[in-house]
Amino acid sequence: MLWIAIRMLTGDAQKFYGLLFGIAFSTLLITQQMTIFVNLVQRGASGVYNAPEAEVWVMDPVSRTTDVSYAMPPTALDKVRSVQGVEWAVPHLRAVANVRTKEGDLEGVGVIGVDDATLIGLPARMAKGDKSVLFAPDAVAVDDTGSLRFFPPEIDPVGQRLELNDQRAVIRGIADSIPSFTSTVVLYTRYSNALNFVPGTRNRLSFVLVGVSEGQTPSEVAARIERETGLKARTREEFAQAGIDFIIENTGIPTNFGITVFLGFVVGVAIVGLTFSLFIRDNIKQFGALKAIGVTNAKIVRMVAAQAGLVGLIGYALGVIGTVVFILAFSANPFFKGFYIPWQVPLISLVAVAIILAITGFIALRSVLKTEPAAVFR
Amino acid sequence: MAILPRNLSFSRQILPILAVIGVIVAAWYIISGQPDREIVEPAEQPPKAVGALADAPRVAGAGVVEPASEVIDIGSALSGLVTEVRVRPGDRVAQGEVLFRVDDRAARASLAQADAAISEARAAISEAMTAQRTARQQLDLYRSLTDPAAVSRAEVIRAEGEEAAATSRLGLARARLAAARAAAATARTETERLTVRAPIAGEILAVNIRPGEFVATQGGSSQPFIQMGDTDPLHVRIDIDENEVARVKLGAPAVISPRGAAELHVEAQFVRAEPQVVPKRSLTNSAAERVDVRVLQLIYALPESEDFRVGQQVDAFIAAKDGPTDAED
Repeated sequence: MLWIAIRMLTGDAQKFYGLLFGIAFSTLLITQQMTIFVNLVQRGASGVYNAPEAEVWVMDPVSRTTDVSYAMPPTALDKVRSVQGVEWAVPHLRAVANVRTKEGDLEGVGVIGVDDATLIGLPARMAKGDKSVLFAPDAVAVDDTGSLRFFPPEIDPVGQRLELNDQRAVIRGIADSIPSFTSTVVLYTRYSNALNFVPGTRNRLSFVLVGVSEGQTPSEVAARIERETGLKARTREEFAQAGIDFIIENTGIPTNFGITVFLGFVVGVAIVGLTFSLFIRDNIKQFGALKAIGVTNAKIVRMVAAQAGLVGLIGYALGVIGTVVFILAFSANPFFKGFYIPWQVPLISLVAVAIILAITGFIALRSVLKTEPAAVFR
Repeated sequence: MAILPRNLSFSRQILPILAVIGVIVAAWYIISGQPDREIVEPAEQPPKAVGALADAPRVAGAGVVEPASEVIDIGSALSGLVTEVRVRPGDRVAQGEVLFRVDDRAARASLAQADAAISEARAAISEAMTAQRTARQQLDLYRSLTDPAAVSRAEVIRAEGEEAAATSRLGLARARLAAARAAAATARTETERLTVRAPIAGEILAVNIRPGEFVATQGGSSQPFIQMGDTDPLHVRIDIDENEVARVKLGAPAVISPRGAAELHVEAQFVRAEPQVVPKRSLTNSAAERVDVRVLQLIYALPESEDFRVGQQVDAFIAAKDGPTDAED
């Protein structure tokens, strides 16, 4: 009986592919837009993820994110080191500076000063060169997306000379980092170098990165640091979330993407609803005939559900594959660097597809259930 | 079409199968593409408290290695050209050993001049003594005569005058000798002052002068000529934030690690705490350093070790008093 329903569905190729297109399109729209949205707001946490060793971030109480921070006096480092449960603590400087290239162009860059001795605070991997290149005098490592903005692709950035606050800086390596939200060029250098590169203000220490002793949890240690030093301490997850929240609060991105996702849903409902209703109406005679031979309403509901299920399965698959292909196709583009599809997103779009089909199926079914067997003769 | 079943339909059979395969492939791609956000262990050892301090209340501070005598900037009492430098950086010198000499030709010339004046004064003395003796003999002769008519009264007066003149000439010559001797002593002191000697036994840390250079006693803005200090033992001067001062257990040993070699942990013995809380001297090398942090400086003695050098920065951990904050944990 269900097979008859499937034959009925695929019998009209135009409407069948119309239905598939509707579902596929709204799945693609919802999945792809939500993926980009999630990845975009997660750029706000890139600074946290780019320092993979730090379990707790300590900052001035008014600091909010990796990029919105207020510097602390240098002894804050020793205060943090004095707290029990802190295995190690290293200084971390994040500031902005103006850099002058060889051509004389001026460009704003982010300068990140990592611990002199251990280089804690560098991204996990280097795209070019080794981490130890930073031990050379005046050495900086540029982030990979930033280097593309700085230099045309035919120029190798390694070995290029820059001028930062009247100081010479030589690019010695390229860091494989997650781009920041604003995708400014980021220069990684040692803390002592960074102090020279960044114009002098009284306090320079932006963050203290902390490793937690064995047997302690980061949140316990963060709470103890806050209590004993009066500074603000956040675990890695909390601070990443703070960066994301900052973007959500201060940009129009959630509204924009929310509207698009909603439109995808509406388009899905409209196209699928219309086509499905038309399809059911065209087949109302067949349903009448089925009723005439004694098929119950429950069975008809199951038939329509099978039709909806098939359309949903194929349409959803096409939409998800479309998103995957989209992400794959653009993975080489620096703007999309590090983009991934969170596993929750396809599940959300699956639920959306189910809702679309449930709504449209329910609307279409109403007329079928009311049909009398006599409809065959009309 | 023999391979395929007769009634194979694209939209009814192939498409759903493709859809299922597509969903599986997509799911695999999505799951394998989740970003790696694991916390990684630091590749190099950062400074950390070890041993008993690792799990006990503690205070951390940064410090600099210095000689036990602190660094002595050797100065020169007089200005002039350097003629000889006797020491090199790293030399160990005894107290009083010559470090360098400043050009002493002028001082030697005035010494020779004073010596000549001494000889001259001596000659004048012997001349005056001779004259005095002659005058006295003559006077004695006149006085021994019993017959007053034997010599005229005028002759006696002349002889008396000659004796008095010779006596006063002798006094003058003696005074000149004393003056010349004093001048010679001055010149000798001057030569001595042009030789700079080690004030204590110790190690030469820096030599910033070379023969032919001019050392000036004025100004003082330039770098010191020679730096030395007693490097046995070495001390470290540890800065403790003023807010943490109350927590430090004064007298307890400190665990010290040099910068860049955090795996090295040396126990240093407490020497003293500076009586004054001073503004923190930041080691950023910036010319316009402004501070609003004050620190207490604690001095610790390092054990014999090849790993520390004067001026090196260190990280230190010191035991803290058991404060009320720890009771909450």
